[in-house]
Amino acid sequence: MSAADRNLPAAARTSPDARRAQRLPVMRRGIAPGRGAGRPSGLEEASGAEAEAARRERTQVFLARVATGIGILVLWQVCAAALAPGYIARPLGVLGQVPTVFGDQSFWSAAGSTVLAVVEGLIIAIVFGTVIGLVMGRVRDVDRALRLYVDSFYAMPLVALVPLLTVWFGYTPLARLAVVVIEALLPVIFSVAEGGRSLSAEFTDVARAYRAPWWRIWAGIVLPASLPYLLGGIDLAIGRALVGAVVAEFIASLNGLGYYILFNVRSFQEDRAMLAMVLLVAFALAVRVPFSMFVRRELPWYRAG
Amino acid sequence: MTGWRARVAPGRWRALLGYAVGIAVGAAAWQLIGLHSANFVFAPLTTTLSSLGSLISDGSLPSALASSFSVYVTGAAVAIVAGAAIGMLFARRALLRKAFEPYLVALYATPMVALIPFLLALIGFGFWPKVIVVFLFSFFPVEFATQRGAQSIAPELLDVARAFRTSENQIWRHVVIPYTLPYLMTGVRQALARGLVGMISAEFFLSAGGLGSLLITQSEQFDTSAMLAVTLVITLVGVILMAMGRAFERQFARWRVTS
Repeated sequence: MSAADRNLPAAARTSPDARRAQRLPVMRRGIAPGRGAGRPSGLEEASGAEAEAARRERTQVFLARVATGIGILVLWQVCAAALAPGYIARPLGVLGQVPTVFGDQSFWSAAGSTVLAVVEGLIIAIVFGTVIGLVMGRVRDVDRALRLYVDSFYAMPLVALVPLLTVWFGYTPLARLAVVVIEALLPVIFSVAEGGRSLSAEFTDVARAYRAPWWRIWAGIVLPASLPYLLGGIDLAIGRALVGAVVAEFIASLNGLGYYILFNVRSFQEDRAMLAMVLLVAFALAVRVPFSMFVRRELPWYRAG
Repeated sequence: MTGWRARVAPGRWRALLGYAVGIAVGAAAWQLIGLHSANFVFAPLTTTLSSLGSLISDGSLPSALASSFSVYVTGAAVAIVAGAAIGMLFARRALLRKAFEPYLVALYATPMVALIPFLLALIGFGFWPKVIVVFLFSFFPVEFATQRGAQSIAPELLDVARAFRTSENQIWRHVVIPYTLPYLMTGVRQALARGLVGMISAEFFLSAGGLGSLLITQSEQFDTSAMLAVTLVITLVGVILMAMGRAFERQFARWRVTS
């Protein structure tokens, strides 16, 4: 998120929804020429013909989406069949592997192992990251001492630490957990520290004027005020944790979804590996989409970056 | 309680002292932990630096840097150009955007590293597979940021342009592209960071060359001081790229049309 963005006056920071509402007539004109042009868009207009048009637009969008999806799959199938060797994954082959993979005990143990490591690592990272981030955001001296390290580790590709961590922790699930924790920790610290810094002094001043004890200031004001930043940090952390887990599994050959993919590609079972890949993406989406929707809806002023 | 909060009397010297203490404690800790741990676990700062010197003088680090750099720049440049173009196009063509939206969101959330084995099986080792990985990592942030920016163009601007019978071509040149550039730069900053992750992971698995494969070789030889030296260089590269991204973003943030 850019600093310039937050410094805008409140009026300039229109929520995305408000903007979308303003834009609606223009967009609609783009889809169905002549409709709604120059008409004021008020709530009372949204009846009869308007509702009909909205419904028609929704079906149109749905059909376009389905058609695009089918188009991509058909293109993939045709290209793979015409150009690639037989072991390259293709949609029909992936579909054919569904019963095999879902009935495969080793797949479930791999998936469980990865999911567990990611969740465990995220929880550890969120707890420690929130504490470190809050202290950094509120205590200048700590911020100065740690800023350099947090900024550098946040900027560097943390996957570069994986070989070193495998030397330290051996080729064990502990190495993967360490990678996940480090990957997820940095965005959480970074965002929460920013949240702590952005808290206006008036709140803490009032609390202090009423002789609030220090722990109530931290738990009652600082922590809730940083919550949106924490959520934004977690959103970034989930994606990075998954990347870290997969890289660790690749390098250390650990039982997990990443290694399941690697192993099956290497043994020319790409359809099986692709199905595992699809399920990995499904897991990522299942965690991230509700999350970012919540952030966008409840905390529209926050922009993850 | 307010004393240690330093909001009362910040002072420049105190800030500098804070940074200096941070660096000194970090360096001292590195040195001490290195001295008291086994060679293959951790290396002192001085050993790491001398290791860095020998990596530079025997030419392995410069050649790895050059190889990584060419992959990274190619992949990131293609991703930025393609992401910007597709992002703006999707913002201007609502039906097209809505048709592709679910698939783009899914791809954005995909941990791209998991695609590396497939790429390896499909096109093998070498320069271009690595470029594709960097591209996959950095394309989506650019595309998303650009699209979000171009979608937020104030309707007044477009209405005025249309009232003056501006052609679609001119709307692009004089409204869409200038308006979107600041948003694009946010995407570029994210893409620079993610592309670096892509570069390192691609080099772990797809190559004989580059910083990532240098790290793997060293870890197989348990040459910890060399690993730390390379990690230090990678960190430095990351910090420089991040600073560059921030500078671009700040440069263009002034263009941002407010309200």
